[in-house]
Amino acid sequence: MTTTVSERAWIGKDLKRREDPALLMGTVTYINDFKIAGMLHAAVLRSPYAHARIRAIDTSAARALPGVQAVLTGKEAAEVIGPVPAFCAEPVVEHAIAVEKVRYAGEAVVAVAAESRALAEDALDLVEIDWEPLPAVTDALSAMQPGAPLVHENLGTNVVYDHVFTFGDVDGDFARADHVIRRRLRWPRATAAPLEPNGAVCAYDPARDTMEIWSNTNMLNSASWVMSSMLKIPPHKLNFYPMYTGGSFGSKHFLAKVIGIAGALSKVTGRPVKFMEDRLDNLMANDSQGPERLYEAELAVTKDGQFLSLRLRTIDDYGAYFIFAITGNTNMMAQITGPYTIRSVETGIKAVLTNKNQQTVFRGAGSDVGNWVLERLVDAAAEQLGIDRVEIRRRNFIQPDQFPYKIPTGNVYDSGNYPGVLDLALGHFDLDAWRQQQAQARQEGRYLGIGLATAQQRSTYSSTEFWFHNPAPATGLNSTPESVRISVGPTGGVTVTMFSPFWGNSPETVVAQVVAEELGIDPRDVNVTYDSTAHALPSAGPGGSRMTVMLAGAVHGAAARLKEKIFKIAAHMLEASVSDLELVGGQVRVKGVPSSSVSLADIGMRAYWFKLDLPPELESGLEGTFTYDHPYTTKPHDDRKDLGVFYPIMGHAAHLVAVEVDIETGAVRFKKYVAVHDVGTVLNPRSLQGQIRGGIAQGIGLALLEEVRYGPDGQNLTSTFVDYLLPSASDVPAIEVYHHETPSPFTAYGVKGGGEGGRMVAPPAVTSAIEDALRPFGISIDEMPITPEKIVRWVKEAQSRHQRQTN
Amino acid sequence: MKSARFRYFAPHTIAEAVQLLDEQGDEARLLAGGQSLLPLLNLRLARPSALIDLNEIQALAFIHPRNGGLVLGALTRDATLERDPLVAARQPLLVEAAHYVGHPAIRHRSTLGGSLAHADPAAELPAVMLALDAAFTLQSSTGSRTIAAAAFFKGPFQTALQHGEILTEVHLPGLPPRSGSAFLEFARREGDYALAGVAAVICLAEDGTIAQARLTLCSVAPTPLQATTAEALLRGRHPDDAAWQAAAEAVVNELKEPPADIHGSADYRRHLAGVLTRRALALAAQRAERSHS
Repeated sequence: MTTTVSERAWIGKDLKRREDPALLMGTVTYINDFKIAGMLHAAVLRSPYAHARIRAIDTSAARALPGVQAVLTGKEAAEVIGPVPAFCAEPVVEHAIAVEKVRYAGEAVVAVAAESRALAEDALDLVEIDWEPLPAVTDALSAMQPGAPLVHENLGTNVVYDHVFTFGDVDGDFARADHVIRRRLRWPRATAAPLEPNGAVCAYDPARDTMEIWSNTNMLNSASWVMSSMLKIPPHKLNFYPMYTGGSFGSKHFLAKVIGIAGALSKVTGRPVKFMEDRLDNLMANDSQGPERLYEAELAVTKDGQFLSLRLRTIDDYGAYFIFAITGNTNMMAQITGPYTIRSVETGIKAVLTNKNQQTVFRGAGSDVGNWVLERLVDAAAEQLGIDRVEIRRRNFIQPDQFPYKIPTGNVYDSGNYPGVLDLALGHFDLDAWRQQQAQARQEGRYLGIGLATAQQRSTYSSTEFWFHNPAPATGLNSTPESVRISVGPTGGVTVTMFSPFWGNSPETVVAQVVAEELGIDPRDVNVTYDSTAHALPSAGPGGSRMTVMLAGAVHGAAARLKEKIFKIAAHMLEASVSDLELVGGQVRVKGVPSSSVSLADIGMRAYWFKLDLPPELESGLEGTFTYDHPYTTKPHDDRKDLGVFYPIMGHAAHLVAVEVDIETGAVRFKKYVAVHDVGTVLNPRSLQGQIRGGIAQGIGLALLEEVRYGPDGQNLTSTFVDYLLPSASDVPAIEVYHHETPSPFTAYGVKGGGEGGRMVAPPAVTSAIEDALRPFGISIDEMPITPEKIVRWVKEAQSRHQRQTN
Repeated sequence: MKSARFRYFAPHTIAEAVQLLDEQGDEARLLAGGQSLLPLLNLRLARPSALIDLNEIQALAFIHPRNGGLVLGALTRDATLERDPLVAARQPLLVEAAHYVGHPAIRHRSTLGGSLAHADPAAELPAVMLALDAAFTLQSSTGSRTIAAAAFFKGPFQTALQHGEILTEVHLPGLPPRSGSAFLEFARREGDYALAGVAAVICLAEDGTIAQARLTLCSVAPTPLQATTAEALLRGRHPDDAAWQAAAEAVVNELKEPPADIHGSADYRRHLAGVLTRRALALAAQRAERSHS
């Protein structure tokens, strides 16, 4: 019973986020606020070496320190917990506390539980370790060389995955092309760096063999069965409580290591144990570093600028472990050809292990990389063919009447209007005026640049993306459900219960607006709660920009079930037939007879406490539950020539950016930033704008500032915020955000997910702007972050090239 | 990231503080704004046996005029420097530089004396002290002495402070008429330590030539650096682009081994020092001319 746009009372309303008052007043409990009687505090000793064998560990002095309740080496921990759960088929084994050898600087070696965190850290000072340092490999190219030190000896190589996917007639298309655009591109290792690091409180009850877990993991319901093997407790005896998350950016997936460490210490002490990462812990060992990729990228183009085919070869530095396999690479196959009618694609992936903290995924999850690579090629094609950057994009856009559109990999784009989005962006930017200013500035020796990116933002993942790269996958999962329970109480109050936690954006706002829409009530009257896994319905949790789509679908379904019962009771009360009733403003009334009505409170009281006055077939109570499955996903073909539909809810965005570059210092200053996003029907413009702005800030960070750096010996050089540079308020310009709405035909209300788009589109837009500013020097930008030092160096090199040529 | 144990004292007078310093011995540290020391404690990079907290000593927080210049208490917060009208009138360079110290929240805690005694070569205020020819009062239980800024900074995080001494006062002489100053720095982000920073003071003669120039830099050497060659070269010259360019070249040549880290190589810092020198001198001269007109 999807309502049409004009009828909607609450969906699309610009309401304030209902999460904010509690967050701002400090009344929510974060994991680090959480206390429980008898709770101990854990601290972890981390490896000073990137690669070393542990010969012996002496923990006797640490154990003897008063107030210390447990000290665990990796070997000792392995007696009470199993390895970290991994989704890879390859035999890459990780332990929450390293056993026998360490594979990156910062890997956990010893964990202590003590009466306070400070005391636990005092105990760490007393641990003595006999190390045998081993040579480290810290870049993928060296790690691939024969004779390179092996990160995992049992693999016999550091190249843990190597495969070329071909979709369509790539060779033919390249043969037919008039031009092949080639770029060698480098994407830097970044990390999510949420304000709140990862943490867990585990309380093991030896009498019941149960464990209660309070953690900021985003994946509560999958966590139970995924982590059962590690904790060695059956899943139904684990109860995960949802906690407010102080930022995740898609980085807080299972958090197996923090849960494993707190869990092991709780098992050996029989007391609740908190392990909360500090900033060093998080930046050295959070397991959510992003891709670090080298690309050989080629775009086959006709002489009139039509893109025929895309050929990519990447070497991706996965770090020391492989828990999510090559998800960062499979993810981008959902939108690898972008908004363009590219008809064939080939992508070769070499995943390489090195002595670094492992790559998994966060905001963008590899599709951020794909967008940047493709948009770099598109800009290069425009330059090489002498076609305007706007025009070449227009010539290649999938047109609005071509949807649903199947791309070469097999994924389907549900809907879109790419020319419409671009037009809206251009309407707010005034490209001609900026080009005039740019020309004027160049005469004055100032360098303005205009950047453009038109790119995809896939949403609503299907779990097939975790394994389709592998002919013999470890799992083969293909469900990603999300559920809610809506209950109307005896006095008519409406409560919606979610089974995924608050992960940093606006689930409560979304749910309240949708339930208000469906029940004809005010969203401010809706109570929204979360429930622990012991009481939960199926839920896959946040990730892959899915929650708005999935919660809207779940609420829509649950409301329908709830309304069925509401109408039955109301019909009984009003002595009318269900088909004659309507629900308006919290009242059920007989159509055309407004005076004949009952309120939700009347119905609720009847449902709970007047069984003898209910229709006899109804039981007491008034609630609707619904489990919403992925709206549209299919299995990959066995030969993997078609990966199936796995990310069909496809958003799109166009960013137009003006910057000024100071070529003497290398400083980049934003002059204007326009972002137009199309994520289908907008549920709440304000919360979506927040998502987009936050994502753009993160994308600007990546383009200009952020990089996880390791020294040649494998030391993490960016283990504090002095060295890992996040953009601050003064680095992010005022961003104009506009929405274009092309509803999805597959989701409730036509919504699409918008959580990652800002970060997926800003890096190519900013890169494009800086490259445009430096165009008089003939500089092509093939790497990020674009630091001031690099800009100064490129300009100097270009000037001396120019000088040599003129001499 | 929790500090190791330490004893904590919060004296109310300078006399109590110096006595505590004597009693607690070499391993005691003074706590002022805490913006550098507290992270070091929590990272366990500093493990003092005792902390003597100066924040309760009211007598250390003041700004007084003296002989056309200023006397500043060591506990003066950077946020106060930024806003004080007397400082703005007499030493606008200090206001301009204080604005570059961290972020507003940091500046509400961080202190002038703390920055000088910590002597981080990347910090702004030590270079400003050198540019303004400041002198510092150091007090101990046995008396006090005054030392010129040029003699105070010995090396990275090293100063002329002896154990038992507290930096209590900063003396800044006044500037002659037709003076202008400028502070410029370049950092990866606003509020970060500079990759290079330049403090420039230009005093013009009656005939419009440069009577005196003072030029100091931060973040490019083990201590704040006074660019004496460039200063000498500017004396008597006309304040024009050629002069600034010559000074910038002298600074670049003078910088032997600027520090290098992941945010900037030695070469880049040297290059920035030149660019900023040119710009800061031009700005200071412009202000000197404007102050006269």
